[in-house]
Amino acid sequence: MRGFYIVGGYPDREQFKKCLNAVASAGFEFVEVGIPFSEPVADGPVIASAIHEAVMNGVDIEAIMADVREMKQKYPSIKATVMTYANIIHGYGEKKFSDDFGDILSGVIIPDLPSRMHYWMMEKGLSIPVIPFVTPVSRNEDIEAVKDTKAPFVYYISIMGVTGSDKKGAQNDRSETAKKLTGKPVVTGFGIRTKEDADRALNTTGGFVIGTEVVKRQKDFDSFCKYIQQFR
Amino acid sequence: MDKKMFFGEYGGQFVPETLIPALDELEYWYNKLKKDDKFKAELDTLLRSYAGRPTPVYKAENLSKECGCEIYLKREDLMHTGAHKVNNTLGQALVTKYMGKNRVIAETGAGQHGVATATAAALFGMECTVFMGEVDARRQEPNVKRMQLLGAEVVRVQDGQRTLKDATNAALREWVASVENTHYIIGSIVGPYPFPEMVAYFQSVIGIEANEQCKELGFDPDCVVACVGGGSNAIGIFQGFLDNPNVEIFGVEAGGVSDKDGEHARTIGMGKPGILHGAFSYLVQTPQFQVADVHSISAGLDYPGIGPAHAALNDSGRVTYGYVRDDEALNAFKMLTRKEGIIPALESSHALAYVIENKDRFKGRKVLVNLSGRGDKDMAAILERGLV
Ligand SMILES: Cc1ncc(COP(=O)(O)O)c(C=O)c1O
Repeated sequence: MRGFYIVGGYPDREQFKKCLNAVASAGFEFVEVGIPFSEPVADGPVIASAIHEAVMNGVDIEAIMADVREMKQKYPSIKATVMTYANIIHGYGEKKFSDDFGDILSGVIIPDLPSRMHYWMMEKGLSIPVIPFVTPVSRNEDIEAVKDTKAPFVYYISIMGVTGSDKKGAQNDRSETAKKLTGKPVVTGFGIRTKEDADRALNTTGGFVIGTEVVKRQKDFDSFCKYIQQFR
Repeated sequence: MDKKMFFGEYGGQFVPETLIPALDELEYWYNKLKKDDKFKAELDTLLRSYAGRPTPVYKAENLSKECGCEIYLKREDLMHTGAHKVNNTLGQALVTKYMGKNRVIAETGAGQHGVATATAAALFGMECTVFMGEVDARRQEPNVKRMQLLGAEVVRVQDGQRTLKDATNAALREWVASVENTHYIIGSIVGPYPFPEMVAYFQSVIGIEANEQCKELGFDPDCVVACVGGGSNAIGIFQGFLDNPNVEIFGVEAGGVSDKDGEHARTIGMGKPGILHGAFSYLVQTPQFQVADVHSISAGLDYPGIGPAHAALNDSGRVTYGYVRDDEALNAFKMLTRKEGIIPALESSHALAYVIENKDRFKGRKVLVNLSGRGDKDMAAILERGLV
């Protein structure tokens, strides 16, 4: 599974739409759309500063999701996911979010909602699958706890750090265990930059998602397209 | 599901998955150590012989006359490093030692928690990094220097509003990257479980002591008043009195200059429940669920969130949460200085100001105010406003 993370509504609505459609039309399997939140604690400087800029310009959740809907109508086979922080979904309303967007989303990725807190949002009406994280320090019991997930994949954070960190992948690779215990495809995120990184992830865990390197190019459509083309 | 993580409906663990094993480890050690006689004796000795406990309860006669009530001050301003913060940092540094970690990080607003953390780190021979928003670093410059003198690295955070909330974001990011050898000493009763419970435990010494001291002086207070940023000094003193229904309890938020967006830090007064820095609690936010800009003259109260325990105490009605404005806090600062010869922190001045501004409510009653810290660190802010 090959996917890209882009910041919703950034740098403006038109450019975001172009980038979103470029990912879909290139035939990648999934896209992660970020709904910007003012406190991006899981993000490094590149994504955090894009998010801050988007927040300063005003975040319109309905507009971002309308653009995702339009893209899905054109490219029904791509899986769309939303990546945002817990306060956005809770504020919008877990049930309302599911009712409004459940039909176009395969999952939500919430970096400040660890697996053990999924129930908290589900009890409040979140019915879109929450994509679970596995990290280098996940214990077997943490991974086993999400083995019945309805999410399309498990998100493997390969480094101890935030997005865009240039640390090497951790020694303690938990992705194999994640694949075995959940029976789900595992997508490696954080720290994937080059074609070689991506190929390695495809060969080992079976998937990758690239964030920082894409967001860096979101303001320059040509370089955005050129960058993502190499992963086709 | 996991009731232990919540105060009423507030609390939880809203953090990256990467931190979960460390939070479990911390929970394990905290639960073990709070029942461990050796740990408790070690901490007690430190608090007494190193940090200056017990702090006195002082009857402020001159101020009492001025206000028409009896004002008693719990003198946390006399603690080593100048505020109640060191009760918590010594406790957490000791936990860090037992956990076998050798590095601590912290966020700081006023710089008091940063100094208290750097102090504990120096004492225990631990490496220490403190995150401080650029705006706060400028308004509390002496505290930046103190931390550096104590051997801590101070990172001036340039994101967002460049105040306490942004420093906390930066500390959380650093913790995710270094969690295997580093403990994050959170400075208030905020953050993911078990932090709110643990910090409240380390600060409970204020209330337990104050309750005994009042009894020795022959009375129970009618009212207890404390300022609330994240809420640690407040929960500390409240814990001595929460189960006495005759004691009325007040938390005082920073009203800033007005109720306009971005001009106050009234988390309970103007916020609504949301998720920030690991916990579900009240939060000052925009209609689009972004965390709103806040303002207070006092860096330690300039925070859009509040500890989940206070959210629950507000909803149950046990504690009344009010506010005072910047100028009222300044006025209280001046009054205590001139009438009693005590220079309070701007944070603590908010608690005093609430009593001064609501004289009718407190008339003739015995009011215990938590004087959470001293005002040395605020000299620059005070001089800027031409008070001298
Ligand atoms: C003297 C003093 N009082 C109060 C506070 C506010 O924190 P809390 O609400 O956790 O007591 C601070 C924070 O920096 C402080 O320095």
